[in-house]
Amino acid sequence: MQDFSAIPKLREFIFQELIFVESPGQFGDQDDLLEAGLDSMGIMRLIMFIEDEFGVTLPDTEIEPENIGSFNALESWIKKHKN
Amino acid sequence: MVSNKEGILQPLNPADTFTLAMDEEIRQENMPGSLCGFALELSNTPNIEALETQINTFIKFFPVTQSSLQQRGKLFYWCQQENTRQLFFQHSCSSEKNETRFFQQTIEKILNTKESREQQSPVEFHLLTGSNKSIFLLRWIHPFCDARGAELILKFLMTDNPKQLEKFAAPFGKPLVNQQLDKYKWWQKIGLFLKAKRHIESIDQYQSIVPLDQQQLQQQPEKLSYAIFRISKQKTEKINKIARKQVGLTGASLYFLGCMMRALEKINSDFPGEAYCVPYAFNLRKSKVLTPVLGNHVCALFSQATREQVQNRSILFQHLKQQNAKVIREKMDYAFLPLMWAGSWLSLEKYGKTLRQSYKTGTERTSFWFSDIGPMNFESQHFFGAEIKGLFHLCQISTPPALGLLSCQFQGQLSLTYNFIEPLFNHQWIEQLHSFYLEELLTE
Repeated sequence: MQDFSAIPKLREFIFQELIFVESPGQFGDQDDLLEAGLDSMGIMRLIMFIEDEFGVTLPDTEIEPENIGSFNALESWIKKHKN
Repeated sequence: MVSNKEGILQPLNPADTFTLAMDEEIRQENMPGSLCGFALELSNTPNIEALETQINTFIKFFPVTQSSLQQRGKLFYWCQQENTRQLFFQHSCSSEKNETRFFQQTIEKILNTKESREQQSPVEFHLLTGSNKSIFLLRWIHPFCDARGAELILKFLMTDNPKQLEKFAAPFGKPLVNQQLDKYKWWQKIGLFLKAKRHIESIDQYQSIVPLDQQQLQQQPEKLSYAIFRISKQKTEKINKIARKQVGLTGASLYFLGCMMRALEKINSDFPGEAYCVPYAFNLRKSKVLTPVLGNHVCALFSQATREQVQNRSILFQHLKQQNAKVIREKMDYAFLPLMWAGSWLSLEKYGKTLRQSYKTGTERTSFWFSDIGPMNFESQHFFGAEIKGLFHLCQISTPPALGLLSCQFQGQLSLTYNFIEPLFNHQWIEQLHSFYLEELLTE
């Protein structure tokens, strides 16, 4: 589980399907996804993608900016429920 | 589609778009849309002049009664009409011999009148007079109000104190669903949305049983008909006692719903499908719910029980009670707020399909329509000088299931009105169904 990284797949999905940034490579794992344009409809699609892709169920009560604001936050949230 | 905001009186409550979607579904079947009725059976002819004056007062209080539903952009609004329309109609029986037929036929005619949505009055008042009795029928369209709302209208008409009338004045402004949603942070709304979606997906695992065979399903719906059965005080008391024992005081509606599942199973256990599925159309939280947040008390939540569960009374009622307790405990009705808001932005066609079709099988989800408004109380037993002897409800239904059961209690008597679409169902079949149903209701 230590080697598990969700970020590459998250980056691919978010940049292809949900938000547009000029240079995805320069967008850091700590950078603010909400400021970059990830909106509520996008978050719903993202959560459904994560649940399908990584086989986790993310509790509705934990949907908050701290868990979805950046790639690092998303990965930590997924890891928390992956075990 | 017109994009301007001219003539708009108020937006349609997003929760009511739910019933508007069903109105569209019914219209697509070449039927009149979601017309409903609330009838008071009266001992004689009421004071017509006084009644008409009070109806006019009501119309002045609520200008939306003279409006029509119109689409502006993606959403629907109650919009002002250019001309004032007649909302009060009188119908008199010319022959004493055919009085019973006159009442049935006139009511069916009113409930089967087709009009375009833009032309249709949200509410109409009809007085049917015969030599032995009269019927006052309030006809409304479902997005305008529900049976509880219709009850309030009747209470308004029966109030003669102008100061009391003031309390009926509804606040105009932001729809209640939107007001409620404003209380949540955006990420909480997403949480609610997913919670509702997951709930539906988890429960929506079976193919619903629709009480129609292949031959019936091929028939085109022609008209709404109805049959009323009034249960004696003694039997009603017994039924209420059994209901309390089976499902508790707060879940009485579940007893009526579960017994109908069993009656249908008894009439034909070969109907295809795996489970009976019935959308809730009763007050989940008794007097605590903030009407009409959840739109007419009708929402996408439903009761569901498999054929095996239906076959055993105690298992069935235990299951329905647990299912309902879970819905209330987990505040599923509130979880549906963002779903209803989102639904109001869909086309009526898409929303209607989402509501009617099972996610898993794509087939009709509803086994029958059901509404229980429980005990009805009016301050006075008289309506403009005429004694109220009874009441009943009516509503148009989509096909399938083409069958609806509406129940209420008045003066200690249970009133059951079967609404059904002809020729798919007929009176003879309904009578047989009722005998099975009554037997179930009275089983201890």
